Amino acid sequence: MKIVVAVKQVAALDDDFEIRADGLDVDEDFLMYDLNEWDDYSLEEAMKIKEAAAEGAVEVIAVSVGPERVDESLRKCLAKGADRAIRVWDDAMEGSDAVTIGRILAGVVKKEAPAMVFAGVQSSDQANAATGMAIAASLDWPHAAVVAELDYQPGAATARIKRELEGGMLQAVEIDCPAVLTLQLGINKPRYASLRGIKQAAAKPIEHWSLGDLGLDATQVGATAALSRVRRMEIPVKGRAQMIEGTIAEQAAKLIEIIKEYKGEAA
Amino acid sequence: MSPQRFLSKSESQVPMTAQALVAHVLESGDFYAAVAVHGIADARQRQRLEERLFGSRRDVLMLARWEHTPANVLDALSRLEHMPLARRVVKHRNTGGSTLKHQFSQSDDPALTGLLALHANTPAPLLLQIAMGDHDQVVLKGLARNPSAQPEVLRLLAQRFPRRFDKEIASHAAVPVDLLATLYHRGDKFVRAAVLAHKHVPEALLLQAAKSTETLILRALVKHPQLPAALVDTLSQHKDNAIRAALATRADLPVHLTARLALDESDSVRRAVACRADLAPTLMQMLAEDHDPWVRQWLGRNPMAGKHVLQKLALDIHEDVRRAVARNPNCPITLLEKLASDHRSWVRAAVAYQPNVTSCLMASLARDSAVDVLSGVAANPHTAPALLKRLVFSEELDVRRGVILNPAAGPEILLPLLQDPYYLHRVMLASSPKLSDQDKWQLRDDPDARVRFALFQWLAARALRPVADRYFYRRKA
Repeated sequence: MKIVVAVKQVAALDDDFEIRADGLDVDEDFLMYDLNEWDDYSLEEAMKIKEAAAEGAVEVIAVSVGPERVDESLRKCLAKGADRAIRVWDDAMEGSDAVTIGRILAGVVKKEAPAMVFAGVQSSDQANAATGMAIAASLDWPHAAVVAELDYQPGAATARIKRELEGGMLQAVEIDCPAVLTLQLGINKPRYASLRGIKQAAAKPIEHWSLGDLGLDATQVGATAALSRVRRMEIPVKGRAQMIEGTIAEQAAKLIEIIKEYKGEAA
Repeated sequence: MSPQRFLSKSESQVPMTAQALVAHVLESGDFYAAVAVHGIADARQRQRLEERLFGSRRDVLMLARWEHTPANVLDALSRLEHMPLARRVVKHRNTGGSTLKHQFSQSDDPALTGLLALHANTPAPLLLQIAMGDHDQVVLKGLARNPSAQPEVLRLLAQRFPRRFDKEIASHAAVPVDLLATLYHRGDKFVRAAVLAHKHVPEALLLQAAKSTETLILRALVKHPQLPAALVDTLSQHKDNAIRAALATRADLPVHLTARLALDESDSVRRAVACRADLAPTLMQMLAEDHDPWVRQWLGRNPMAGKHVLQKLALDIHEDVRRAVARNPNCPITLLEKLASDHRSWVRAAVAYQPNVTSCLMASLARDSAVDVLSGVAANPHTAPALLKRLVFSEELDVRRGVILNPAAGPEILLPLLQDPYYLHRVMLASSPKLSDQDKWQLRDDPDARVRFALFQWLAARALRPVADRYFYRRKA
């Protein structure tokens, strides 16, 4: 059986950066890329299932949508033990929103026919928390979000999960398989790739799939097919917030001074 | 994997001169190694390194913000034209004084002054220039807090803006003594408290402050080593808990006051008493019965605590109290043996870190399943080498790190850890004086850039050392 793990290469920002001339995104030169933290946990969960099963019984496939630089993140997945890595890209995919990305990933899932699809709850850069659910919607599969515990035996018709709710509550759920689960941070302890794993991963191929491999055409992906579009990206104007420093007594004295100033009283 | 494999020599030899090391890096094309050796390259090599380092805008921006970028590379970056680098370079903690000065003279970015006012390496004349001419209150406040600000800067700020930055100036280590007196006399209670907390506060001010009834002033005063003796007795009955607690930490506290404070109604005061080195046995026995577990915990850590007190605390219901006993440097071995089988791993871990533990007990702790306990065994310098050799292959990275941090772990134990999956362990070993350069040389192709940088940084520093040093170092290793 197969487990597909949807992963994303996310961008991290330094505190001083520039926005692109078209105003739609940050200038790429100011971004640092890495594997999304949530996806590290998703991959680890898949690896735990694989390692608990008989050798060769479970195949873990890491899948990502993005340009060539994404290969670096997929190599990390291979180094940690994923059996295969697939990168899907076509220039027509530029500008895809979470729903469209979900549609593309669903195309991979249809071809691979896994018993489970894992994704992170969200990505650290865009925080839509939508891709996993969009995959499920495209496939019309059962889904569960913010999974904090998973009990699943390869080949089983159902999985038992616990979802994290508000206030630390856990909701125990039984879900039919195949299903799409978005996994929460802390569900496990992700491993570090061994040097041997990294070296082996360097020699493993990354499969590059295009639109044609998925049976999609350019009208179904990218900015034209997206249901939402970025209109502008901006840095908000700083407010008049002021950090009041000092001891508690000093802070209280300063607060009184500010209140008096606003009320027009003499300090 | 057999440890013997790691003992074999790497295929190639470590370049022994700065020129050979840079030549190797140029040939390899390794970006991060190039950053590390930039400072030891000759002019021609440096030019070639910079072609590699500054080839793309993205790399240049990354270098200007990377926390490890050395001063010489930042200086080279600061001279690149048409790059949005000024703020990054000035903000970088490694940027040297001459580079900062250059940036200040070249850029008209108003934000730079604020960053320069905060930077520890800003040259003194530049700080003085800011203190003389700038009017921005945020910039000047940052300047008053800059540990590198010299006395003239502080004096100038105190003159230009009386009272505005007095508290920051009073808290600065370099503030002149006469200025402290000025600040005290014109300041509010907060400034006065800051003056009294200063280690160079004039004695006259201490005597003056002794007459104060202001709690904040007395709290600062009571912590001062030269507190007037007459005040000690009075303050021991002050209604403020913090004053009495600070008093209880004073080495010169008279015995009768120690006894009184041991009965204090405030937990924080009794906790301070429990840490004292001069506690009478009767007081220790009394505090061992205290209702506050923190009092008992601090007593358990007290190296002067007697055997009977420790025996009693070793049976305490609170695990942190039992752990404190296990951490006590004078805990008897018989007690450590009992605590080594405590049902809480947190207590057993404290035993594992004890330098007094016998080899027999250490062998027993090494069979524990708790990661905290095994980490203690791994870090303990008295752990037998055979046990350390086993712990090197632990699944838990905290345990393996314990071995790396163990001062007694020799090269034969550490060598397998050059293959550790956790990059930070490899970084630590790249800078470890326990391994020879030749052993570390296998890290030159490490997949993690931070590891390669650490290795080449180490080798670059070695290349700058005199030849004789290197010879003796190798002999020792």
